[in-house]
This record gives sequence, C-alpha cells and structure tokens, in this order.
Amino acid sequence: MTSSQLVKMRLELRRGVLVLAVLGLLKQPHYGYSLRKQLQDGGIDIDEGTLYPLVRRLADQGLLDSEWRQAEGRERRYYQLSSLGAELLSQLTDEWQQLNGALAFLLEQSADTNGSDMNSLDESAEEI
Amino acid sequence: MELVDRYIAAVQRELPENKRQEIGRELKANICDQLDALSEQGELTESQVAAVLKQMGHPCKVAQQFVPSVPIIASEDIPLFKHTLFMVLGVLFVLQVVGGTTQWLGSTEGSLFRFIQHLASGFIGDACLAFTAIGLSFWSFSAQGKPISGSNCQKWQPQNLPKVGPGWQHISLSDVFVDLATYLFLLLVIWCSVWMSSEQLAARTVIFSANAQQWLQWFSPIILLSMGNSMWQLRRRVWTSELLLANMGINLAYASFLVFLAFSSPLLQNQVQSQGAEFQGVFTLLQLEQWLSYSLVITAMFPGYEVIRDGLRWRKLAYK
Repeated sequence: MTSSQLVKMRLELRRGVLVLAVLGLLKQPHYGYSLRKQLQDGGIDIDEGTLYPLVRRLADQGLLDSEWRQAEGRERRYYQLSSLGAELLSQLTDEWQQLNGALAFLLEQSADTNGSDMNSLDESAEEI
Repeated sequence: MELVDRYIAAVQRELPENKRQEIGRELKANICDQLDALSEQGELTESQVAAVLKQMGHPCKVAQQFVPSVPIIASEDIPLFKHTLFMVLGVLFVLQVVGGTTQWLGSTEGSLFRFIQHLASGFIGDACLAFTAIGLSFWSFSAQGKPISGSNCQKWQPQNLPKVGPGWQHISLSDVFVDLATYLFLLLVIWCSVWMSSEQLAARTVIFSANAQQWLQWFSPIILLSMGNSMWQLRRRVWTSELLLANMGINLAYASFLVFLAFSSPLLQNQVQSQGAEFQGVFTLLQLEQWLSYSLVITAMFPGYEVIRDGLRWRKLAYK
C-alpha cells in the first residue's frame, strides 16, 4: 500500500469520529481556535481548513448555537451544543460505544486466529 | 495583516454573496487567533504569516469547504441521465438520417460527401440542443432535492431481472438505433417517388431500372418487419431464442435479396443522358452498375455472417 493510499484511508477512518469529537467538546462553549487546541491536546490533530467549515455546517444544521463575543480586544464566534445537538451526541455516543465494542471483539478474534495459525505452522515445522 | 486581508478577500470572492460577510468575519477571527498564538513565541514575520495562510489551504479550497458546491445532477440520477441522453440522441440520429436522406435524394448534386456532411452538422446541432434540454430538466429535479431515480430503485423485483447469460446476450441500444436508421434510409430511397416532387425526380441523373425498382418495392414489407423486430428488441434488450430465430430469418431474407439483386440486370438507368454517355464525365453507366453489383454482394455477406452467428448462438441457448 502506498503512503497516499494510507493517508486517504486514515482520513476516511477519522472523518466519522470527528463529528462526535467536536460535538462532545462543545458541551462547553469554544471558539474555533480553542476547539482545535482541545482536539489536539486530546490526540486528534485536525487542520483548520477542515475544522472551521465542519463547525459551521453543524451550526447550519441546528446542532450548535453560536454567538459573537468580545474578549481580549477582539471578537470571536463561540459555539456550544444546542438541545438538538445534545440529543444527537447522546445517540452517536451509544452508536460509537457499540461499534467500538464490536470492532475490539473482531480485531481480537482476528489476532487469535493469526496466533493459532502461526502456532500450527510452528508445530508442523517441529514435526518435520 | 495586509496579507491576511488579501487571503480573506480571495476566499470571499469564491463564496456566494449572502455568505461572504459572515464567513469572512469568522475566518479572520480564526486566523488572528492562530497568529496570536504564534506571536507569543516572538514577533511575527511576513513569511510566518504566509506559512499559516498556506497551511489553511488555497482560498478556492477553503471556500469550497465552507460552502460545498451542489452537483448539477444528483449522483443517483447520473445512470438515468446517461440512459435518457443515449435514447434521445439515438432517436435524433434516426430523424437526422431521414431528413438528410430526403434532402440528399431531392438535390440535383448527389454528392455522398455532402450527404455525410449535412448528416453530421445537423446531428451535432440537434445533439447540443438535446443535451442542454435534458441537462436542464435533470438539474431542475436535483435543485429541488428530489432525485428521479429514488422511487424507481425501490420498485424493482429480483424475479424480474433477466437470467444470467453470456455477454453477447445483451443487446446494446446503439445497435438497435443504427439498424432502425438503416431501415428508414432504405425505405426512403426505395419510395422516393412517393414523397419527392416531380421536379426533384426529373432532376436525378441516375435512377433504378423499372425491374429493380419493382423488386425493391416488393421487399419493403421485409424492411418494415425488420423495424418491428428492432422495436421488439428494445423491449427487453436480451437475445432470446425467439428473437434470434426472427433475426436469422430477417438476415437470411436480406442476404438472399441482395445477392438476387446483384445478379439481376439492368439495375440502373440513365434518366437524362444516353446509356453510353459518361456519368459526371468520369464513369459510364455500365461501370456504375458493375460496382453496384459488387457492393451488393459484399453487403450481402454481413447479414449472411449474422445468420451463421445467430444460428450458433441459438443452438447454445436451445441446448443449454
């Protein structure tokens, strides 16, 4: 697999969880830059060109409330979860936990199968 | 900050009018926050500001992410759009052949090159109009957020799908339309005395002999049957035993008739000049007739080949 293919697949994998991560963090009010900082500190690195449009789209869909605030001599747009967004967050969290559990089980099974295959190969080699 | 303003203006130029102010304001706030965080490490240089903006992405890309463009035609409708376009272009091609043949036969200068040229230019003009009309129709549905294909995709039943078969069993639309155009062309040529004016008829230099004309007119029901067969193929577009048998019968009739015509004489007669005179100053009538006979024999090989091919296919289907 080429590195560009890996990059694309990683982006695909992350795209789904990004919405959940953003909604989860916006239980508290954040502006664009502070939200990005929080995500980075939590281990999710996302470029500005992706995050800011995503937050706007969520706001346009009614999942976030927003308001302009003046602070430190500058204005910033603060976002926070709306009631609709809170409901969706709860549903997505359940969905995520289910998926996470299922995936952990599948990956564990797959690891066990690989392990037993390797063991049987070793045994055959020893017999020979 | 001038660089930042230039960047934001560039993004705003790519946005719809009603979103420019709002998105520009927010984007500026976000960029300024980033620059503030960087400036804590020391005074910012222009190249550092440029690097931050470069990392944001090209203004077009950023604008596209804020306001994604809506496709002209919904992705679910693309297959139906292609199918509709193909069908309509096929019909237009047939009509253009009819119109072009009418004009060609009625003209005093029977140049084949002019006929093809007229056919091509007429078809291209009609095709452009059809493409625009169909595109606009599909766009109007997509703009309302109601894909056309959605309901169709829900109504299908597995039992109605055609059975699995070899690749040749699928009848392509292009084959059907080309056949239809050919049959219409033949009918127009054979029955030109019906629809052409007497002046146009009198102006033609070379015509079929009375015998040949009579044979051709007697063959017309077979041509009409061929057209019916093509329409039948349009219904399901899968070769069945019955369709193959019908096709074999028709092709055998064509092959036999063409060979018969090739060996019957005379085929042509000179309407204006004497029989021995040169046609357009280059060929004699006899030479033209000879070439026509050879052409008829060669043409007969095509339906002849199809008879054999369809016979083999029919055997495969019958004994499966």
